[in-house]
Amino acid sequence: MTVPGAWFLTLAAILFVVGAVGLLVRRNVLVMFMCVELMLNAVNLTFVTFARMLDDIGGQVVVFFVLVVAAAEVVVGLGIIVAIFRRRAGATADDISLLRG
Amino acid sequence: MIAAVAQVQPGQPLQLPHVDWVTIGPAGIFFVGGLAMLLAGVFLRRRVPRGLWSGTTVVIAVLALWPAFHLWHQIASGGARTAIADAVVVDGFSIFIDVVIISAVVMAALLTDGYLRRENLEGTEFYVLMLFSASGGMLMASANDLIVVFLGLEILSIALYTLAGFQQRREGSQEAAIKYFVLGAFSSAFFLYGIALVYGSTGSTNLGVIADFLRTNSLTNGLLLGGFALLIVGLGFKVAAVPFHMWTPDVYQGSPTPATAFMAAVAKAAGFAALLRLFVSTFNTYRLDWQPIVWALAVLSLLVGSVLAVVQTDVKRMLAYSSIAHAGYVLVGFQTASNRGVAGALFYLFAYAFMIVGSFAVVTLVSGRGDTDASLDAFRGLSSRRPALAFVFTIFLLAQTGVPLTSGFLAKFYVISAAVEAHSYALAIIAMIAAVIAAFFYLRLIVVMYMAAPAAEGEEAAPTARIPIAVGAGMSLTIAVGFTLVVGFLPASVFDFARHATLLKL
Amino acid sequence: MLGFPVLTALIVLPAIGAALVVAIPRTRPEIVKVVALAVSVAVLVLACYGLYEFATGTAGFQFVSRHVWIKQWGISWHLGIDGISLFLVVLTALLFPFALAGSDAHHDVKAYTAWMLVLEAGCLGVFLALDLFLFFVFWEIVLVPMYFLIGGWGYEGRVYAALKFFIYTMTGSALMLVGILALVFIHAGHTGHLTFDLQTLAREQSFSGSTARWLFAAFAVSFAIKVPIFPLHTWLPDAHTEAPTAGSVILAGVLLKLGTYGFLRFGLYLFPKVSHDLAPLLLTLGVVGIIYGAIVAAVQRDLKRLIAYSSVAHLGFIILGTFALTTQGVQGGIIQMVNHGLSTGALFLLVGMIYERRHTREIADLGGLQKVAPVFAGVFMLVMLSSVGLPGLNGFVGEFLVLIGTFISRRWWAVVAATGVILAAVYLLWAYQRVFHGVPEGENLKFPELRWREGAVLAPVLALIVFLGVYPKPVLDRMEPSVRTLVERVDRQAGTHQPSVAQGGHR
Repeated sequence: MTVPGAWFLTLAAILFVVGAVGLLVRRNVLVMFMCVELMLNAVNLTFVTFARMLDDIGGQVVVFFVLVVAAAEVVVGLGIIVAIFRRRAGATADDISLLRG
Repeated sequence: MIAAVAQVQPGQPLQLPHVDWVTIGPAGIFFVGGLAMLLAGVFLRRRVPRGLWSGTTVVIAVLALWPAFHLWHQIASGGARTAIADAVVVDGFSIFIDVVIISAVVMAALLTDGYLRRENLEGTEFYVLMLFSASGGMLMASANDLIVVFLGLEILSIALYTLAGFQQRREGSQEAAIKYFVLGAFSSAFFLYGIALVYGSTGSTNLGVIADFLRTNSLTNGLLLGGFALLIVGLGFKVAAVPFHMWTPDVYQGSPTPATAFMAAVAKAAGFAALLRLFVSTFNTYRLDWQPIVWALAVLSLLVGSVLAVVQTDVKRMLAYSSIAHAGYVLVGFQTASNRGVAGALFYLFAYAFMIVGSFAVVTLVSGRGDTDASLDAFRGLSSRRPALAFVFTIFLLAQTGVPLTSGFLAKFYVISAAVEAHSYALAIIAMIAAVIAAFFYLRLIVVMYMAAPAAEGEEAAPTARIPIAVGAGMSLTIAVGFTLVVGFLPASVFDFARHATLLKL
Repeated sequence: MLGFPVLTALIVLPAIGAALVVAIPRTRPEIVKVVALAVSVAVLVLACYGLYEFATGTAGFQFVSRHVWIKQWGISWHLGIDGISLFLVVLTALLFPFALAGSDAHHDVKAYTAWMLVLEAGCLGVFLALDLFLFFVFWEIVLVPMYFLIGGWGYEGRVYAALKFFIYTMTGSALMLVGILALVFIHAGHTGHLTFDLQTLAREQSFSGSTARWLFAAFAVSFAIKVPIFPLHTWLPDAHTEAPTAGSVILAGVLLKLGTYGFLRFGLYLFPKVSHDLAPLLLTLGVVGIIYGAIVAAVQRDLKRLIAYSSVAHLGFIILGTFALTTQGVQGGIIQMVNHGLSTGALFLLVGMIYERRHTREIADLGGLQKVAPVFAGVFMLVMLSSVGLPGLNGFVGEFLVLIGTFISRRWWAVVAATGVILAAVYLLWAYQRVFHGVPEGENLKFPELRWREGAVLAPVLALIVFLGVYPKPVLDRMEPSVRTLVERVDRQAGTHQPSVAQGGHR
């Protein structure tokens, strides 16, 4: 079975939008965090698809970079979240509203 | 790098690219210096002389100037070039941004010393994160590959998220960190998607290859333009341009003030370095497509930043909004896509780094232990409590207003003249009107410091606690004020530096 | 021409003085005053030296000093003086020691004096600059010390007044900066070299009529706010009333002249054709200002506010003379600038003295002062009559020349403006009558007489008021060549000729 490259791109775009919308509407910080990961993986899918379409291995190499960066982000992000949860268990984004004006 | 790997045939020995270490010297020194300090901090946890880490950071930063000067001379005689398998570019532009970042690091490190002692947070981590972050910013400025830009952006940002949340015990700091983190990661994803789309439509992530491709092919599909838009969104977040500015006031307010100072200067310089490099150089052939977007961003940033700053009562928040307006001025220079515009943007970033670090240094001192009070009331009657501090702050505020004989005026003058030269009269006038609106709140702060009416009976008296000024903070303020005034009087050499940096751009 | 850079010294000297004052310890305010007076008197001496050395009968710039500042941008430290700016420079140099000696700051003498000296440097810079960038720098710099003077040492509404002053003026200069840059870059586009030099830009004009109109508008709005011309004047009463006495003296005496000077030096000189085309509009606004200022002044209850509104009327005369575009009109305008500086400056000082003595400026609270302080009343009378334009005093010379100059080219405007002279007599004399005539009661009985020190400060100004009224020829002779050249330039560019009577001059 052959699947046109455009389908993959469309799927990636949909995943990206799902992630972006999820980040904007969900209130749980961990879920927001997962949405970011979803967005990054949507981009990874795009890269792989383009690499395949262009017959260029560069796009696939990029994915490795992104994976590493995403891992680093997870470490820092979880660290920050843990620090917050230590003070306030079960905090959602709505609770974090000290700063406003 | 990526291209080189792709051409390797099976069975052949791997041909690794030649790494010319000097070309990434400034960023490298920061990175290695940061690592060394991290290790040293582990072993010397106790009993270190005061100011050791701050001093080391300053030394590392000044050391990084040496390869920068070396490269500058090389470029001045031999022209700009690419290195390390075309992944980085060595040109006047990147050196200029390096110098801006180095200056910001020096001032922020000096400021941090007294701050950490006041907050009982002594240790190397703050400085190490600052050095790492700065190295990321430098990498962004010298990147010649979209992936390298992305790596630089992430090195810059991840360290900044941590800096923002450095005061673990303060909820404001935690909140700033999580907000910055979520929105930063969000914008990184946009930026990355932009890279993917540009890659998909041009077949490469290398800026040189992309530029050549765009020169010889004219693309009509929306893929490339979509990529442009996403790249602008991603970097727009970093430089705090409206409408991608929502995080700025909260993060600036909540972060430890020296981190805010650093963030404001370095993240903005690095973000604009990437924007200018990508759009003015690489996507130059498509400037008619992206210029209107940047025009709109500039107008929005100028007006929204200035107007919202007027209604703030917290000085850190107010400076955050004013930094949004400043981003608008840099965008004015960017929008012209001309040499004068780019040079103006560079000059603006340089002058801005000193003004903003200086301003936040004053806020650091005034807001007191725990960054508790940076409200306008904390500044009431500062002129009688600490005349020198009030005077210095006045200079920074007047410079940000754009009063002549300060670097801030010349920065505005430079970008506005670029806009006028490019016949963007409307933008020039809007920018000047924004400057007048902005004058409102800068003056309001000066009024509070100098002309506050003595508290009437029944009212709470103005704060009278003595404000200690740490040695490092004093040095930092001296550097910032010195630069702001000296360049304000004798701008010719820095003008030339910015102009050459632009002309020596690849 | 001369080895010694007089004009540079005129600007640098007060700046150094300000630095000196800052260096004096806070505990020795009496030294501050001496230093400041010495510096400002030295500036006056230098200005008088310039006046003495000034070559009468030449139109060009003299004492020119020129140093490259920012080479790449064609910006230079370019100063020069001609018949138009000469007397404004002398006026500025005279009013600063006058204001410094005539009133004291009620607190923080050091900062107050330093700001005054910075202000002096800035004002002189505006009058002397022949480079548009330099001009703009000084123009903006003036705002800062004035802002602090009003805001720091003014009366009740000072903060509001200071902010209003700053924002109004900065709006104007924001537009002017865009105008300057547009002018420079259009010129650079045609000739290939970037320069901010006023003379070069005026000589090598390279823009179409509609462009010139926009550029002129950008400059004119800025000047009109500073003057202020009628609809843009609302900052003036607040700033004048709330400013400390010395601030009001300088504001009225010098700062307002920056705007009218700007019209002459930059408006007429750079855009002669447009100035001619738009003259009816500006003349009308000038006349409206004369009548409006007079009527509003008449109904004021605050003496200081009354004088502030009288400034609006007087400045209307200056605008009228400037845009009559005849030699006599322009000369009258310039001499009226000097007159207004002297008489209104002195009036503000006198009102300041009244306030110091009685702690009120309400006309209703005062009365019968002539009985208790006849000398004071006499001085006030003289200055006020000069402001009214009584023949034999300086005000008459200026108003007369303005009206003649305007009558020659624009008859109807002159006729309407002449009624303003009558109105001025009405509101000033009426105010005088209410304050000084009648029987003194209560606090007014204890009104102290003019002190020797105050008299000594006022004497030079009074002498000049009489001298200029009786024998204005030396002044007119020095300004005539420059003015005639300027008016001829406008005529040539606009393709008109002024009637021959207007060229007669005063030989």
